Amino acid sequence: MTRLSGGLIDRSERLSFTFDGKSFTGHPGDTLASALLANDVRLMGRSFKYHRPRGVVAAGSEEPNALVELRAGPRQEPNTRATMAELYDGLVANSQNRVGSLERDFLAVNDLLSPFFAAGFYYKTFMWPKAFWEKLYEPMIRKAAGLGSLSMLPDPDSYDKGFLHCDLLVIGAGAAGLAAALTAARAGAKVILADEDFRLGGRLMAESHTLDDAPAMDWVANLEAEFASLPNLRVMRRTTVFGAFDHGIFGAVERVSDHLATPGTAVRQTLWRITAKRTVLAAGATERHIPFANNDRPGIMLAGAMRAYANRWAVSPAQTVAIFTSGDDGHRTALDLSAKGVTIAGVIDTRADAKALGKYPLFAGAVVSDAKGRLGLERIAVTREGQTSWLDVGALGVAGGWNPNVHLASHHRGRPLWDDALQAFLPEPGAVPGLTAAGAAAGQGSTAAALASGAAVAQAALAELGITAALPVLPRAEDAPQRQAAFWHVPGKGRAWVDFQNDVTVKDIKLAHLENMRPVEHLKRWTTLGMATDQGKTANVTALAVMAELTGRTIPETGTTIFRPPYTGVALSTLGQGDTGTHFRPRRLTPTHDWASAQGAVFVEVGQWMRAQYFPRKGEKSWRETVDREVLATRAGVGLCDVTTLGKVDVQGADAGEFLNRVYANAMASLKVGMVRYGLMLREDGHAYDDGTCARLGEDHYVVTTTTAQAGPVYRHMEFCRQCLWPELDVQLISTTDAWAQISVAGPNARKLLERVVDGFDLSNAAFPFMACSELTVCGGLRARLFRISFSGELAYEIAVPARYGNALMARMIERGADLGATPYGTEALGVLRIEKGHAAGNELNGQTTAQMLGMGKMVSTKKDAIGAVMSRREGLLAETRVLVGLQPVDPTQPVTAGSHLFAQGAEQKTETDQGWITSACYSPHVGSMIGLGFLTGGAARMGEVITAANPLQNQQIALRVVPTHFVDPEGGRLRD
Amino acid sequence: MTDLSPIPALGGSTARLTKIGALTLAENAGLGLASLALRRGGAQPVPMGLALPGPGLWHAGNGIAAFWTGPGQWMLEGADRAEEDFARAVKLAAPDCSVTEQTDGFVALEVVSSAGAAPIERLCEKLVNVDLGRFGPGSATRTGLHHMTVFVIRRAEDRLAILGMRSLAGSLWHAVEGAAQHLEGAAT
Repeated sequence: MTRLSGGLIDRSERLSFTFDGKSFTGHPGDTLASALLANDVRLMGRSFKYHRPRGVVAAGSEEPNALVELRAGPRQEPNTRATMAELYDGLVANSQNRVGSLERDFLAVNDLLSPFFAAGFYYKTFMWPKAFWEKLYEPMIRKAAGLGSLSMLPDPDSYDKGFLHCDLLVIGAGAAGLAAALTAARAGAKVILADEDFRLGGRLMAESHTLDDAPAMDWVANLEAEFASLPNLRVMRRTTVFGAFDHGIFGAVERVSDHLATPGTAVRQTLWRITAKRTVLAAGATERHIPFANNDRPGIMLAGAMRAYANRWAVSPAQTVAIFTSGDDGHRTALDLSAKGVTIAGVIDTRADAKALGKYPLFAGAVVSDAKGRLGLERIAVTREGQTSWLDVGALGVAGGWNPNVHLASHHRGRPLWDDALQAFLPEPGAVPGLTAAGAAAGQGSTAAALASGAAVAQAALAELGITAALPVLPRAEDAPQRQAAFWHVPGKGRAWVDFQNDVTVKDIKLAHLENMRPVEHLKRWTTLGMATDQGKTANVTALAVMAELTGRTIPETGTTIFRPPYTGVALSTLGQGDTGTHFRPRRLTPTHDWASAQGAVFVEVGQWMRAQYFPRKGEKSWRETVDREVLATRAGVGLCDVTTLGKVDVQGADAGEFLNRVYANAMASLKVGMVRYGLMLREDGHAYDDGTCARLGEDHYVVTTTTAQAGPVYRHMEFCRQCLWPELDVQLISTTDAWAQISVAGPNARKLLERVVDGFDLSNAAFPFMACSELTVCGGLRARLFRISFSGELAYEIAVPARYGNALMARMIERGADLGATPYGTEALGVLRIEKGHAAGNELNGQTTAQMLGMGKMVSTKKDAIGAVMSRREGLLAETRVLVGLQPVDPTQPVTAGSHLFAQGAEQKTETDQGWITSACYSPHVGSMIGLGFLTGGAARMGEVITAANPLQNQQIALRVVPTHFVDPEGGRLRD
Repeated sequence: MTDLSPIPALGGSTARLTKIGALTLAENAGLGLASLALRRGGAQPVPMGLALPGPGLWHAGNGIAAFWTGPGQWMLEGADRAEEDFARAVKLAAPDCSVTEQTDGFVALEVVSSAGAAPIERLCEKLVNVDLGRFGPGSATRTGLHHMTVFVIRRAEDRLAILGMRSLAGSLWHAVEGAAQHLEGAAT
């Protein structure tokens, strides 16, 4: 097939591309679909279920059939609509969902087996043997029925995101959208005009209509020149607005580089979040087809699409075509193609009183009842008054009327409204606040009506914003009345496709009706109608009409479907906005990260933080060996650990003490200045929430710490208490977690080491006892804070300096403490040290435990009220006897596994006999075996008893002895020395 | 004077700086920061002669600057005062307020355009959900940026500051630098 005359393609340049390995050429301005048609390729794919040969049906984003694998290698992209793939030189495309060649797909055998694949077949068959479903049936079905394949290689391209704000967002740059944007932009409003196409014009490009007696695209070209001069208007081509979200927010994908062979330095796509005060939905309409037997033959397409291919891309799918229409619109295709030299074999019009609009054979009161030509249309059966004759044609345009593109208006669950005069659904006004439809999307489908409607809707939208906009002088345009007939399908015996992409036929709908799957939601799920990647854009309304006919009800009585975002598929890479690997999510580094890296530390993710997990030394063969060394060195000399990640909240104000009294279960107002107290917070329901320390730096100044994991939530909780519960209190909060680098200095030599860095500060036990705190200076005048607190059970301090000095202070202390055995330790050793000491951490504060279970029941003060205090004394919680105990294997070689459940020895192991679980476990170099902490029923009275830890996942049954939680220094002498 | 050597939030020995097209992106390691909050019923001070700005605003003057961070709350900036106890100076100037040292709580990235407002605004579009029509010079806001919480300050038509959590400095730099590079490499 040679090109027709005219068109919006640049014939001066040739672009080479391949489809299924065969080379072809096209021109700039082509899509892959138009270029394939120009090269006589009608067969472009195989259907989803039956593997029927398929050709292109549409010319836009609604395309259900012509899905290809675009590009090769890591950029291979399945399920790309050939109608949306802009042609570039070197484009590589392959057909998909086939075994063998596209012409000889072995899985076409499915088509012969179609009686077994009726609607809901997967609910009815493959029921037994049960085990076969996962192992055989499902993999088999997935292999046989599917779409394109993934390359399984990492995406080499980059993506980004952005945020835009505007007075008016215009979705669609057809006649209505252009008029709306022009009206608003001339008024000075901030306007965004977005269109999924790479050119502005919408259907104006697809029609032969004139504007002011000149080609419509002349008007568009003038408009584009004016648009370029308006700084308040942003024109976004290749941009699909895919979703309407809350508060005037719309999601849009800009295909920045999809029209290039490779993006080069540019991003591939940008995900935009557009906040619009008002929105004009000028998304146009989608033509509907008319199902008849074998209406899925390659070469059968929508008549409007056929017209678009002829007028915009100068191509016809065949030299001889016919049109099957239920209204005047189909005749326009016949006229346009005829004018370009294509032979019109006939216009088959369902209306008995239809009149020909030009010189072509007219079959009034007739239908197309069948089609032949497996790999490409050859003949159609025309039936009139019971008589059938065959016409030899290479293509058939089907015009069943137009469905307004209501999708975005439904994204807030707005139900489209049926318009009886138009025989179509229209957007529900107000369904998306601030959004109004215009043009064909609002049922104003003639060019004149679309132009006028776009301008008027924009003017009204701006008026709501207090912006006065004058209506522009619009060009003279065709204004043919839009009449649509209610002709939904051609009854007959053969299979007539309603949903091409998911292979749903009229027969399937009939079966759903017979099986009482009549509500539209059931119909959809029973038949899979509208559930393919095209969301049934060309199928849904027709299916509803068929179901309405079967039930004898009207279409609105039958129902409608709600559309959800995205309007068209959005790549996960785009939603992910590009960051993978290291920057997949934000990474928080501690102030000593550089130093730890230089020491060869192994890091571990702790929420967003990267913390040093352990510091391996040469010759150490396993992480355990390293951790054991770090633990022993700390207990023998002094260990240093960056504990900056613990949350720090600065609390000031005259009522700071009272505020903390109410937030913590134990008393804080009574804490003396210069002292620290361990604090436990409860939730409203009386369960333990978080723990930490509370240091009083002044009469009206505290610094509290939280666990690393709860730093954000606890700060938020405290702010909620301050702002909402007790606004009468004079208290001010601010996080200082990042401001201070905090280093734990633990071990018998801790004091000696600190004495080498503090500036003349008396660290003696008398001057600075256990749980003291102070502001001081270190290393020659650097402001610092010192807290004498211990997580390890050793003599220990935490020293804080401005974060920028953390790295240097760590290095300095390691250097100065070399003779004291100063050793850095990571989170693993930190965990071992605290388990050996029996301190609770996140594993024990898991949201299901209480102060009583943690052995801290007495900390919940009865002398004051605090959040959760009353609820902690409720009957159910008081009756709880599970308490935290230490656990040690009877056989020291045996493991202790966190998560194991605890049972009395010999007891049957079931929920009713469950006596608790192991929360934390580690190898203790101090004890010489693994040890654990766990909650055990009646644990306080079971010291010495041997119980069983059951870990059925690993087939473990371990005998453990119940011991006190303190494995080291039970008297606590070390930390007080 | 301490003999310890500080390191910038982004690591290394000197503050990071890079030029991408018309944009210069620099870590401002010298920025002293202190938060200031009114005590209950307290009068709004004029610390060091600076009138504290209203919601959404940033004021500079008398060698310091401030931006509004919440009802009765501000962040004060002292250029090149990171090495001193800036919070103490602020406390002395506003003794009836709660003042907290924040210098090392944040990393400050300063973005300067050599081609007027346009590059700054294009960068902003890619980073933060801010209506640029209402974010002229003297504006400041707290917002999200690549899943991080930041303060964004429009210091001038052609100058933007982004203050993020110090521990997230690397991620913040990556996000801002990446967005600037994407603008440079935009497809045509």
